[in-house]
Amino acid sequence: MLRIYATLLRMGWAIVMEYRAQIVIWMTNSLLTIVFMLVWLSISRDGPINGYESADFVAYFIVAWVVRNFTAVWASWELDYAIREGRLSPMLLRPLHPIHHEIAINWAEKGIRLFLVLPLAALGLVIWPEAAARLDWSLLNIALFVVSLALAWLILFMSDYLLGILAFWTTQATAFVQGFFGLRLLLSGTVMPLAMFPAALQQVLRYTPFPYMLHFSVDIAMGRVRGEELLIGLTLQLAWALTCTALVHLLWRAAIRSYSAVGA
Amino acid sequence: MRYLRLLGVFLKSNLLLELEYRANFLTQSLLGVFWASISFAGISIFYTQTDQIGGWSYGQALLIVALFTFLDGLLNFLMRPNTERIVTMVREGTMDFVLTKPANSQFLATLRHMRYAGLSDMLAGAAIFAFAGTQLALAPRWEHVLQFAVMLISAVLLIYSIWVAMASLSFWFVRIENIAELFSVFFETARFPISTFGGLLRFILTFVVPIAFMTTFPAQAVLGMLEPHWLLSAPLVAAAMLWLTHRLWRFAVLHYSSASS
Repeated sequence: MLRIYATLLRMGWAIVMEYRAQIVIWMTNSLLTIVFMLVWLSISRDGPINGYESADFVAYFIVAWVVRNFTAVWASWELDYAIREGRLSPMLLRPLHPIHHEIAINWAEKGIRLFLVLPLAALGLVIWPEAAARLDWSLLNIALFVVSLALAWLILFMSDYLLGILAFWTTQATAFVQGFFGLRLLLSGTVMPLAMFPAALQQVLRYTPFPYMLHFSVDIAMGRVRGEELLIGLTLQLAWALTCTALVHLLWRAAIRSYSAVGA
Repeated sequence: MRYLRLLGVFLKSNLLLELEYRANFLTQSLLGVFWASISFAGISIFYTQTDQIGGWSYGQALLIVALFTFLDGLLNFLMRPNTERIVTMVREGTMDFVLTKPANSQFLATLRHMRYAGLSDMLAGAAIFAFAGTQLALAPRWEHVLQFAVMLISAVLLIYSIWVAMASLSFWFVRIENIAELFSVFFETARFPISTFGGLLRFILTFVVPIAFMTTFPAQAVLGMLEPHWLLSAPLVAAAMLWLTHRLWRFAVLHYSSASS
């Protein structure tokens, strides 16, 4: 499997290098995070809001921006296209699940994104030292952050792929992807820390996958979840990652059984 | 007159096309309403934490969200579909068919295609506007309604001009959907009153990428808070942009050497 992935990653790298300009353009979309940071800075000018001061908002949105770029996925669009154009059939003949191909492309793309995002985020933290001070830099915490980041990626990738599989049955799969994206922007903490939500809603959200796509990882980086709460959070995050993966597995099997190719 | 009739033909042919793909029309319309609901919920949650953003109350900020949703719908209805076609036409060389038709080429290239699902965002925008009106117990005087009309029309013309400029650039750069994407990022700031942003960014959003003209100024007009000099300058700027971008389009077409021949 390792050798296969080494080859897949090389292929993925070749593909994303061809689209590098395009990827940078798509990344500008994540600059929205900065817009929302500015809005919250404007709101918090007169004092902290629900435990967030200006520096907290800066730290929150800088980390959120990194997480968002790290977890960016568009596999569903590729899958939808492959199914509609009949390009999936040759991929099904290979002795390897097509999802591995998408994972490799996704990771190669991450290389390009992080190459740009990490230095810019670091620059942001240098410019706002108070924001950097709001992050927990202990080694253990960094390790926990990396683990939750990996799980967040898994949740996002698998849920996105899940919606892509819908293209086996409907031509409107990408509409579901877009709708899900809208929901995610709001509920994962991309436009505001979830602490800004009404308390009852926060309680409900804790058990949905949304906070674990972004907010939970940022919370860890800022040292805002600790002890038991942290363990429960990581467990729920892992549970959602496994659930999404299992659902992809099940739905894919059902899809392949009902699939009849279009074209030659 | 002739152009109005042509516009009628375009409206009809696009409607027929849309009716061919009913499922797509339906999901895209629902998606438009869904996004509007997300915007509405988003701004409402912002205001659970504060009673003003940039000095604007909840009801006032809802007016801005309403205008944003309406204009975004207009982009989906008219601007974005035509941009996609222009890019394809320049790349595949079929732009020649547009240029050789006996009508104004800018008209044909920028107003030919419509995506009716965009109307759902526009309607949702109108609904949010009505809701904001009841929240504010808004009863604008007739001169404020007039000011609002002037500012909104200027905003629409400005957006259209920006789109003509991008369409013109496509003759040289082909891939203008990327520039359109950049504009969309700026346009997202139109969800908030311009006073939310400080310093340099506010300057840029007023004078370089005129986002302030699109949602903040029309909302101020209907609230009767518009500074008089904007009332005068907005239509002038819009008219100037319209004329300038039309010249740019002519210049671009003159320097266009087709892709196919």
